[in-house]
Amino acid sequence: MSRDVAVEALTVAHGTVPAVRDISFTARRGELLTLLGPSGCGKTTTLRAIAGLEIPRQGRIAIGGQTVFDAAHGENLAPERRGLAMVFQSYAIWPHMTVFENVAFGLRARGLASRDLPHAVRRSLDLVGLGAFADRPATRLSGGQQQRVALARSIAGDPAVILLDEPLSNLDAQLRLTMRAEFKALQRRLELTAIYVTHDQEEALVLSDRILVMRDGIIEQEGTPTEIHGTPKSRFVAEFVGVSNILPCDVTGPQDAAVAVLAGGLRLPVRTNGMHGSACVCFRPINVRISPTPGAFGQPATVTALSYLGDLMQYELRSFGLTIQARGVPDPSLVEGAQVFWSVAPDSCFLVPEST
Amino acid sequence: MTSRSISKRCSTEGIAHSRVILTVRLPRAEAVTGVGVSLVVALLVLPPLVAVVFAGTGSGFAPLHHPDVVLNTLLFGLLTTLCAMLLGGGLALSLVPGIPGRVLLERLVVMPLYLTPLLTAMGWSWLASPKSGLVNLLLHAAVGARVTINVVSAAGAIVVTGLTAAPLPFLLLSDALRALDPTLLEAARVHGAKPRLVFRRIILPLLLPAALASAVLVFVQALGMFSVPAVLGMPAGFNVATTEIYQSLESYPPRTADATAWGVLLLAITVLLTFAQAAVLGRRSFVTITGKAFRPDQHRPRAPRLRAGMAWSYVALATVLPLIALLWAASSAFITADIGLMRFTSQHFVYVLRDYPKTWLAAGNSVLLGVLTASLVSLLGLAVSWIVLRTRHRGRSLLDQLSMVPLSMPAMVFALGLLWVYVQVPLPIYGTIGILLIAYATHYLPFGVRATSAALRQLHPELEEAARVAGASWLHAMRRITLPLVQPAMLAAWVLLFVMSMQEVSSSILLYSSHSIVLSVAVFDLWENGNPGDVAALGFLQLITSAVVVGVVLGMRQRRGFA
Repeated sequence: MSRDVAVEALTVAHGTVPAVRDISFTARRGELLTLLGPSGCGKTTTLRAIAGLEIPRQGRIAIGGQTVFDAAHGENLAPERRGLAMVFQSYAIWPHMTVFENVAFGLRARGLASRDLPHAVRRSLDLVGLGAFADRPATRLSGGQQQRVALARSIAGDPAVILLDEPLSNLDAQLRLTMRAEFKALQRRLELTAIYVTHDQEEALVLSDRILVMRDGIIEQEGTPTEIHGTPKSRFVAEFVGVSNILPCDVTGPQDAAVAVLAGGLRLPVRTNGMHGSACVCFRPINVRISPTPGAFGQPATVTALSYLGDLMQYELRSFGLTIQARGVPDPSLVEGAQVFWSVAPDSCFLVPEST
Repeated sequence: MTSRSISKRCSTEGIAHSRVILTVRLPRAEAVTGVGVSLVVALLVLPPLVAVVFAGTGSGFAPLHHPDVVLNTLLFGLLTTLCAMLLGGGLALSLVPGIPGRVLLERLVVMPLYLTPLLTAMGWSWLASPKSGLVNLLLHAAVGARVTINVVSAAGAIVVTGLTAAPLPFLLLSDALRALDPTLLEAARVHGAKPRLVFRRIILPLLLPAALASAVLVFVQALGMFSVPAVLGMPAGFNVATTEIYQSLESYPPRTADATAWGVLLLAITVLLTFAQAAVLGRRSFVTITGKAFRPDQHRPRAPRLRAGMAWSYVALATVLPLIALLWAASSAFITADIGLMRFTSQHFVYVLRDYPKTWLAAGNSVLLGVLTASLVSLLGLAVSWIVLRTRHRGRSLLDQLSMVPLSMPAMVFALGLLWVYVQVPLPIYGTIGILLIAYATHYLPFGVRATSAALRQLHPELEEAARVAGASWLHAMRRITLPLVQPAMLAAWVLLFVMSMQEVSSSILLYSSHSIVLSVAVFDLWENGNPGDVAALGFLQLITSAVVVGVVLGMRQRRGFA
């Protein structure tokens, strides 16, 4: 039975160094919430605190309305009594058991009657496509199969919430895509509440209903994948989701016709979100248009470097003393040293505060 | 103490100075185990240590009056260590891939761990005592009385102790060699260094920490070694601190103060050394562990037959010859090298099995003590390692250090401390096997902790955590996940601990009574007061007893079907 998770003012510290600082968020029922951030940002610590594997300093955690941790009232429910499931980064498949026993362990521990056991195990192994592997020793599984066993084990007990700690990071690229799609389908079908930790922005965008971008133990931005991808609210988030043109500027002019003035006097029309004065203007390389003629807003530039990405080409442009990253379909006329014009639509630009 | 206050204490230890956390209750079984284990370790280690220091530093510090024995002790320690390091290091560097029979040799060179030094020393005295030693009798028959090898001497005691101690540096240095990152050596070769230079400038410096650590261990063991100097040194008038302790307590009336003073001297030396080692290693610790296999050279090693030959000679000197001498002495009517006069007999075995009154009592005590010590120490070791590696308790590094204290404390010194403590404390264990169990458990605790922590380190913590999240309590997770997974390593540790307990002499000789006599002490007793054939027969029985128990345990494990 899926439930929601509420985290309030959570602080977790290892020794004197706080790993998570006063964060609050909610994962709604049936939602896939992703904690996204670089290593050391506190995302795994947060997940482990929800699981009961870390004892936080401060704050409160409730699952389905029931408090499982509350520092103020001295409540701390042991991990086994929180009714959760977790997929670990190492998979943590118990090597001395068969696939069947791995899945059955939690069901037994939670008191499922032994006559219902084979059916329940079989059902969750079938869900991950491992029905034929029940009697296989856990040590004789490939990485992908171990991943599936870990998943089967976590969904078997009909958990309130399923926690996933970088579950795909140990798989090779091809398998990662397959497992990602399978997991998403499963999560939707079973309407699981899932909290998913990853450092891979693409994974987060594909899977999530909502994303929390974390940094140094705090939540930097919270939003849907579209919001996080389209309008990062800070320079850090912008960089993290792959916006590689982040240029210091001065925003002037009226609200409806604002202009970002960059170094060297370069002027870009932008939509402001009430920001004025010093800021950074950001845009994605894919939104930069390159043409041989100036056009309406074209800015002169020189192509200084090219890198071949397969379907696309990455161009580095030098314009007004600034370096601009652009991306487009390969064009044989664009060689190193070519003189071109570039532009970016005001709708594709957004502003973030100057500080990092 | 109620469970509530225990868990409260535990959480205050674990998470410091946060007023809020004081009230967070840790799960009960976990907390009780944490506090209980720390208490047990502290109670085992500290009182005897304190007692020795207080009792031994009174007036008339005996070592001051015997500077020759102090010098002997230091020389014995240094030369034995040198001997063991050369042997062990040489073996570790020799037994590289490409040596014929390497796998077999690697097993054979550690056999002295399973033989008792007492039996090895006795074996050598039958082989090479000046008048009646088998080797000397053969030598004299061949070349006359001009050449005599005398093992009953200072040099004999040193070399034989070195032979018995060599497996330890061998094991530590081979591990260090295996852990060396091969790319470090390959990089040196690619940048122009010849193999000899690679060895001198890369391999040797990288092995230094392991070499130093094993040298200190061997030195401490040598200082605490009683049986070999007692068998080969004492008759030649070569006395060291341990034999002084023994003689002080054997004299009438016992000179307890003198014995304890010698104990304090030993303790002072070993503690100083341990600190010095920490200071040296603290400044240069090399992290080269990559888990890849060590490939010292892709080419065939030079002189493979010579290297194998040296290893075989070691096996012969440290294991095969003393064992042959033991069997031979146990089964011949009297000692002679003249084949015409040799007469084989079962009278010695009949005597020790039927007539010698201590045999069965001692065998029973030894097996019981061995089983109890091995079980207790491997479980306590696992508990300590688990707390140190898996929790964030504040006191965990202190617990780790405390459990390692016995490493720098010779067994005899510890036994002296126990004597002082249990003379004062009104616990009815004085003169029972209880006090021997305490001595053994404490002395071997560091081995238990090291073996189990190596096993736990191999185990990803997420395996336990996964069980917890899946709904298993702490105890349930320990029983179903952790214990089964460390079981093979625990069993190996159990076997080694059992064998070591069976051969313990140094502390047993001070702590036993007529009811709590153990086999190794009975052997020593017969050595001092009996017939060589009978001693040999009893010593042989001691080895057989060990082997049978180990065989039964390993057999049980196979029947239970664990891989």
